[in-house]
Amino acid sequence: MSNLAPNTAGPAGTEAVAPIVRMVGIEKHFNNVSVLKGVNLDIRPGEVHVLLGENGAGKSTLMKILTGIHEPTGGDIVLDGVSHSLVTPRQASEAGISIIYQELSVINELSALENLFVGRLPVKRRLGVPMVDWKLMEAEAQSIIGRLGLGGLDLHKPVGEMPIAHRQIIEIAKSLMKNVRVLIMDEPTSSLTSVETERLFALVRQLKAEGTAVLFISHKLDEVREIGDSFSVLKDGVSTGHGRIADFTNDDLVRMMVGRVVKQRFLAEGAIDRTSMPVLKVENVTSADRKRVRDVSFEVHHGEVLGFAGLVGSGRTDLMNCLFGAEPRAAGKIFLNGADITPKNPVEAVKSGMAYLTENRRQTGFTPNFTIEGNIAVTKSVKDAPLRGTWGLVDRKAERVTAEEQRKQLSIRCAGIDQSILELSGGNQQKVLVGKWMSIAPSVIIFDEPTRGIDVGAKSQIHEIIRTLANAGKAVIMVSSELPEILAVCDRVAVFRNGRIMDVLDGATATEESILSVAMRDGK
Amino acid sequence: MSQRVKLGKLWDIYGTLCILLVIVVLFSALSPTYFTRPENIVQIFLQSSITIMIALGEFFPILIAGIDLSVGAVLALTGMITAQLMVAGFDPTLAVLLGGVGGGLVLGAINGLLVNFTGLHPFIITLGTNAIFRGVTMIISGASPVFGFSYDFVNTVTGFVGFVPVPVIFALSFAAVLWFFTAKTRLGRNIYAVGGNKESAFYSGIDVKLHTLIVFMISGLCAGLAGVLSIARLGAAEPAAGTGFETYAIAAVIIGGTSFFGGKGRIPSVVIGGLIIGTINNGLNILRVPTFYQLVVMGGLIISAVALDRLIGRMR
Repeated sequence: MSNLAPNTAGPAGTEAVAPIVRMVGIEKHFNNVSVLKGVNLDIRPGEVHVLLGENGAGKSTLMKILTGIHEPTGGDIVLDGVSHSLVTPRQASEAGISIIYQELSVINELSALENLFVGRLPVKRRLGVPMVDWKLMEAEAQSIIGRLGLGGLDLHKPVGEMPIAHRQIIEIAKSLMKNVRVLIMDEPTSSLTSVETERLFALVRQLKAEGTAVLFISHKLDEVREIGDSFSVLKDGVSTGHGRIADFTNDDLVRMMVGRVVKQRFLAEGAIDRTSMPVLKVENVTSADRKRVRDVSFEVHHGEVLGFAGLVGSGRTDLMNCLFGAEPRAAGKIFLNGADITPKNPVEAVKSGMAYLTENRRQTGFTPNFTIEGNIAVTKSVKDAPLRGTWGLVDRKAERVTAEEQRKQLSIRCAGIDQSILELSGGNQQKVLVGKWMSIAPSVIIFDEPTRGIDVGAKSQIHEIIRTLANAGKAVIMVSSELPEILAVCDRVAVFRNGRIMDVLDGATATEESILSVAMRDGK
Repeated sequence: MSQRVKLGKLWDIYGTLCILLVIVVLFSALSPTYFTRPENIVQIFLQSSITIMIALGEFFPILIAGIDLSVGAVLALTGMITAQLMVAGFDPTLAVLLGGVGGGLVLGAINGLLVNFTGLHPFIITLGTNAIFRGVTMIISGASPVFGFSYDFVNTVTGFVGFVPVPVIFALSFAAVLWFFTAKTRLGRNIYAVGGNKESAFYSGIDVKLHTLIVFMISGLCAGLAGVLSIARLGAAEPAAGTGFETYAIAAVIIGGTSFFGGKGRIPSVVIGGLIIGTINNGLNILRVPTFYQLVVMGGLIISAVALDRLIGRMR
């Protein structure tokens, strides 16, 4: 992997303005996993610095080190020329470092005014009794809000009733009241409309003009180009480039983020026969509340992977839960090779050969008190046992053979199948769960975000498995929020929005843009 | 690092036994003449048998990160029903099957169904049913003890095989059955899975509600059998029998290394946990420590044992 970025700003600080914050050779290990491997980052006043990188590249960890939430394992953080091996949250705050997370931290039940002064309400005395000085608060707040060009905002309304854009502005105002010098914004535009985004950008430019340093995290390259001055790229915990944005094309930036240009595709090789009976047929599935999933029908044919794309919260996972019997349905039928298998609950689903790799492996995936062997074995044992999976003795010998097979097949990296699943990396935990479902030889497999939080190597391996299953005649459904992943694996893409399939696109010709335009299409 | 892992694993299996040995050594030193006599050892086992029985049951709700606070009341109510059936002329075996076994299973099922149906934490449900079951015991007995059941029954249950009391044989063989159940059967392993993570178990095809019901039925069954042992030992069914026994049962289970967060624990350690409670009671009696002080010591012990377990668990 070559470093694509010319060294425009060397560590000696050849640029005119000295950085407020300089992170040098930052390293961070969690357990045995190395998340950051010698990352450098300079933040200068009056500049918008963009931090780029794929999911899991280490951006959030780096920010958490800068704001004092995590301790770095190695490296230096230089604040105003003073070198530290770590910063405490207090030091970060005293240095004027403030972060606005994607998940806003305003308290929805409190008014804007109370949010702005939370933890430090001004006090006046009346007859010796300390009381909240609302007048002072109001005056101070209005001057800040006015400075942000947002006069006329009702400061007494609970912020939970305000649009997200306003809540974000209140959060920014809160930082400004603390005399912020470095404002970190983590994907601030992800839930804003284009008008709101423009207003936010105007605000960012104003802060910049006032000399504040802004660190901007975003995946949207066009946006980055519009607002950013300089950038740094992280890939798998390594700095892979930095410089002035104007000196690079979007393609350059993507290459630094992704590394290998080769993007493997795993689409079906031959033509898919869509005239004969489908392997899986889903008819009119509606969730019990008739909202999250509305009248969904689709088919999966032999040798085909059907992808579900859509925005987070569009109801894709609810649909999968409905298919698996994990969520109550108001209506709907599921046919496997023509036979009705509609499961009332997951027990029936497993018994009829459905597998469901859930979205959140910690919450709904693995059994933390079990070994690798136990995690792989338990579902097969339930499937094979009479009386709703309860009757009979555990056959350790056979189970060890099965678990060993899966370990080899999926090359699960572990000390042995007796190791606790908690000791494995995320990718290997995910492989154990894939192994658990493979061991029941399922006919229908649902993968919900199968590669979330998984490194690149394990990712393509799981994609390979998905394709192999489809080729073997299984009905394979994959939900993913990562469009490149959808395009890499799925032969057809069902685009979900508001609990419905809006359109089904051909995987070979679909693009990220075509999927997104359907996913965000207004109306019914 | 690896040595620490080994230490942790060893502690999981032998930790409770170590605590028991420490306590035995302590009392032997304090009461060298009486405590270590063979008759007293038998007595300790006998005194522990009821605690072991209800602790065996309590183990299961705690294993699924729940709890059963009603075991003391179940013991009283099932004992009362069994006694009344015998007094009414039922054959003792039939009375035990109906009152102890049947009654225990039904009361446990009531707990389990309420937990499943309301979705409330078992703590709240069994806090309620504890009062309800105790109240029903008072109502059906008019709050007075029931005497006068057959000598055959009393003699059989309180007898000896060789030098070993029947309740001890009963409790230990029941423990052996449950050990086999938890270690070797699919149902047993499923319960551990439910204890580890209910959601994961649900999505893995385990019927969480069915397993929850079964867990509370086992707890009820054990308390019911303890109820039978209890009326035989006392020769009467006391409406206030078993008051506060849930504390001893929970203590035995937790001292036995069972995790309050679910999914971790072993039957043999629970048996040893029950023996620890019995040994402390016995030892303090021999040392003529007044009952009220015994409570203080018992409470302190529960906290230290769990704190120790957490400490050693953290070393891994």
